[in-house]
Amino acid sequence: MGARNTTGSAKTGSPDEQVEQLLYARQEKIYPREVHGLFARLRVLGVFGLLGIYYLVPWLVWDGRQAVLLDLPARKFHIFFVTFWPQDFIYLAALLITAGLMLFFVTALVGRIWCGYACPQTVWTEAFLWIERKVEGNRMHQQKLDAMPMNARKLRIKATKHFLWLAFAAWTGFTFVGYFTPIVDLGQRLLAFELGPWETFWVIFYGFATYGNAGWMREQVCKYMCPYARFQGAMFDRDTLIISYLPERGEPRGSRKRSADPAELGLGDCIDCTLCVQVCPTGIDIRNGLQYECIACSACIDACDDVMEKMGYRKGLIKYTTENAMEGKQTHMIRARVVIYAIIMLAIISALAYSVVTRTPLGLDVIRDRNQLYRETVEGLIENVYILKILNMDNREHTYRLGVQGMPGVELHMDIKTIRVPAGEVMEFPVRLRVDESDLEARSSTVIFTLEATDASALQVQQEGRFLGPG
Amino acid sequence: MADKRIPGIQKCIAVLWPSFLTAVVASGLFFSAFDPDDLVAFGADLEISRLGIYTIGFLLFWLVAAVSGFGTLYFAITNCLRNTPDYPES
Repeated sequence: MGARNTTGSAKTGSPDEQVEQLLYARQEKIYPREVHGLFARLRVLGVFGLLGIYYLVPWLVWDGRQAVLLDLPARKFHIFFVTFWPQDFIYLAALLITAGLMLFFVTALVGRIWCGYACPQTVWTEAFLWIERKVEGNRMHQQKLDAMPMNARKLRIKATKHFLWLAFAAWTGFTFVGYFTPIVDLGQRLLAFELGPWETFWVIFYGFATYGNAGWMREQVCKYMCPYARFQGAMFDRDTLIISYLPERGEPRGSRKRSADPAELGLGDCIDCTLCVQVCPTGIDIRNGLQYECIACSACIDACDDVMEKMGYRKGLIKYTTENAMEGKQTHMIRARVVIYAIIMLAIISALAYSVVTRTPLGLDVIRDRNQLYRETVEGLIENVYILKILNMDNREHTYRLGVQGMPGVELHMDIKTIRVPAGEVMEFPVRLRVDESDLEARSSTVIFTLEATDASALQVQQEGRFLGPG
Repeated sequence: MADKRIPGIQKCIAVLWPSFLTAVVASGLFFSAFDPDDLVAFGADLEISRLGIYTIGFLLFWLVAAVSGFGTLYFAITNCLRNTPDYPES
């Protein structure tokens, strides 16, 4: 695939061309070395917490049904005690905007914390790396194994790893579909080999995406595919938390005996052990400064702190810091950018919370009978026919009182006595309005239907309709 | 595609990935507004489950976006790079 070299300019390339070559060269596989320490523990906590949430949530039960079920086949989203309908799309939009703003806010404040600890790509990659380590051994064993020619042992180890990866990915795909169709039922049908073709497609699709992204692509997703990685730099300023190597303290780097005095040798604190490079999941050298590939996972901090401790030096040669702090200036946590993001975010969250709490779980659509504009009854009244679509978005059954306003002398006729709609159902009711021709002022008048639950007066809506007459 | 210097797989990912994201957003918006059960295609009622229509809709959006992306890639590369001195002729 390294077709770039065919032009023969590889040796004499300008810096731009070198970068291009780097981008288009065949990827070298990265073998991140296992790391222990404070931040590694935090990340493991993140992995367990987030994957735990992902795999367990579909199994929670609330009020006799799946607690979180984005029921696409039924077009209803159940999230604990609330049920959202396609009409509530605006809430989803607001939620996504809030999530976006929150990412801006967090990025401005603490940098790429998201990437290092919470991003699904990181979290699943960690899980896949863990499986790989259990099967193939540590970094050195993995490199040796990959370098050796194929033999029975290598085949067995590789096959075991891919089997475990695929099993884990399949479970992930199954869980994903379980968010959209009831998971208990889905599981039973899976065991009986009765999954529908579309469900099968999505289990395989999502499972395969997990296997590919977390098993094969890994850091390349962050480097080449992630949109956030491209624009996160725009939220950075001199007060944003970054991971940095302190060159003034570390340079000039060089190996030395543990007993040696670095000042005598004219060396800085960096012993050039390259552990920070070996543990890096994106394969960069943090000592070259802040780089776009850095996902702020802090593996290099853990690795370096460990070395510093062994050498008897102060920890923190690589550490969380800010550009201002590195230059010996004051770091300002609270600054215009952060305050503005926070204000917009809080405003949207409050508006969202307010409208969800005060939302009326009742919908009314008025559809005019299209076959006839109007008709005259035997009594000489003008009659219009409507279909009322009543949507009970509440979680219990209600009966409703229907009224009509806005037209003097109008009579409301229905074939049934009570309007009763079960929980979460849409029902249609034919309604006739009759009025004396002398009460009509124009060919078309506005009429307002009002609907109110008999057992809860807060549940009321109104909807306009048109009444047509001979005029 | 035209430029031999970029591996084919990378071009494919560069088109398929953004079009995938676009298709996710587009099908989300489209199916919030339209219920598959109310859709009539070419005068015939679709006798496919909702989940099936969602899937087909998503794949169609993906296809359309990908076609557009491959078009952009093809035209951009052939026009911009053909005149560069080290452009490899096939």
